Amino acid sequence: MRTAFLNTLVDLMRVNEDIISLTADMGFSVFEDVEKEFPERFLNTGVTEQSTIGIATGLALCGYKVFFYAQAPFATMRCFEQIRLDVAYNHVNVKIIGVAAGFSSNQLGVSHFALEDVGLMRLLPNMTIFTPGDPIEAEWATKAAYEINGPVYIRITKAGSPVIHKTQQLFHPEAGIKIKNGGKFTLFVSGSLLPMALDIVEVLSKKNAEGTLISLPVIKPINKKIILEAARKTGYIFTLEEHNIIGGLGSAVAEIIAESGRQVKFYRFGVPDKFTSITGSVQYLLEYNGLSVQQITETILKFINIS
Amino acid sequence: MLDKKEFESLKKYAREIRQTVLSIIVAAHASHIASSYSIVELIVYLYEKILKIDPKNPQDPNRDRFILSKGWGISTLYTILARKGFFEKKLLDTYCQDGSKMIGIATRNGTPGIEATTGSMGHGLPIGVGMALAGKLQKREYRVFVMTSDGECDEGSTWEAILQAGHHKLDNLVVIVDYNKWQSFGRVADVLDLEPFVKKWEAFKWSVKEIDGHSFEEISQVFSRLPFEKGKPSIVIAHTIKGKGVSVLEDRNEWHYRTPTEKEIKIAESELGL
Repeated sequence: MRTAFLNTLVDLMRVNEDIISLTADMGFSVFEDVEKEFPERFLNTGVTEQSTIGIATGLALCGYKVFFYAQAPFATMRCFEQIRLDVAYNHVNVKIIGVAAGFSSNQLGVSHFALEDVGLMRLLPNMTIFTPGDPIEAEWATKAAYEINGPVYIRITKAGSPVIHKTQQLFHPEAGIKIKNGGKFTLFVSGSLLPMALDIVEVLSKKNAEGTLISLPVIKPINKKIILEAARKTGYIFTLEEHNIIGGLGSAVAEIIAESGRQVKFYRFGVPDKFTSITGSVQYLLEYNGLSVQQITETILKFINIS
Repeated sequence: MLDKKEFESLKKYAREIRQTVLSIIVAAHASHIASSYSIVELIVYLYEKILKIDPKNPQDPNRDRFILSKGWGISTLYTILARKGFFEKKLLDTYCQDGSKMIGIATRNGTPGIEATTGSMGHGLPIGVGMALAGKLQKREYRVFVMTSDGECDEGSTWEAILQAGHHKLDNLVVIVDYNKWQSFGRVADVLDLEPFVKKWEAFKWSVKEIDGHSFEEISQVFSRLPFEKGKPSIVIAHTIKGKGVSVLEDRNEWHYRTPTEKEIKIAESELGL
């Protein structure tokens, strides 16, 4: 996904002279070519996330569209108050790219995990939030971020995510992308766990539990229509994300269902509200937090069979 | 160099600004009168003599930018902006009143002439650095002026921006520090000492000048040639007195919070020639 973002950004920069890319000393072996090709419109501001948000705002107030790239915890949490007052309040064209989100920095522990970023960004008026789940969604989100007039947060994980989508034609600003159709339940997924969600739905369909899978690469503004439609069509709704179960996709979907007046069985799959104080592979850390195909399919089956 | 008559006229202007600031702060039972008084001469001079701005075209991309990073001194800036014709003077009567856009902290909410939302400390200078970078990239001639407080120089984001500006040789950036030696809880020297202040800025590759921030002679001298050095951002350390202009307000930190009483208002009015 990171590569898809970067290639798209470079393409955009070639055509649009109003783009400036900033990095807070991140992107070693990633940004060198950008720096070479656009020496004036690429700036490494050093390890200064707080002032970089201010600088980005100053540039944006003078007409630039600024893409600010840093690791997700530092791009969002270290400088949250600056994002709130400078970027969100002023409704400026600052696009924050939080890379290595979730457990991507799997060996580095709590300091480098970003499991609260989406929740924080959701709290901010004017903020659009993209959580792409594959390189196609990342490319689309980057292009959309440029087109949108105002602040954007794009949450991406490290390189190496498989391509899930075959086309971009169904995407629109509040995209909800139906990947599988089935009547027993609906699973909403946002971001890095899209491939896992696909596996879950395929395993369940072999057990006569055919479900609908919808990817929501836009967390804010959330696509209410597609959620309400799911509530109407299937009695069970599940959400899946590599984020604290508080504040992210699960919360966003829950808020809409709760106010819809519909009787729906609902469960959030995400990282439980506690710190993960161990190291390991991404897969290990997810499984440790209850996020594996086996654990999730068992829980969904239990839900469906109980009723 | 200005002649005697011009200096007298500026002094009169400053006294009138203090009169209006007193009246709108008293009407609103608002705070921060002393912070507004310590910057009067500096802002008056900038808006009268230095800044290339046009109230009729406040969004001109080539305009000089002034950011009041110590956004709680806003009553002085509003008063000057109103006098310059950025908005109607009667708006001043709504300062801190129900439903008004004349907020008690500089807020970029459509009020003409307000370039940035500040007052949360350490925001103004980074934004100013961004604007100065944009000016260099777009090859525009405008300059960016940022006025910060001394207390604000505790903030890490301020020092990040100081490091950035020196590194990027932003000689289109001018910072004025309102060094009135008070911060929220006490004396700057006691809370978190900034000294040796000049050396700190110099070490960060800035060109430094110190002045008496209430002397129009020194203010006019310091702004007579900008930048101070080619290839370096300029910093004016302005030694000021918090509450300058009214004896009962001067150099007492309670005026960061209090509104004057009837008795104090009478003293102020008398000393300001009302």
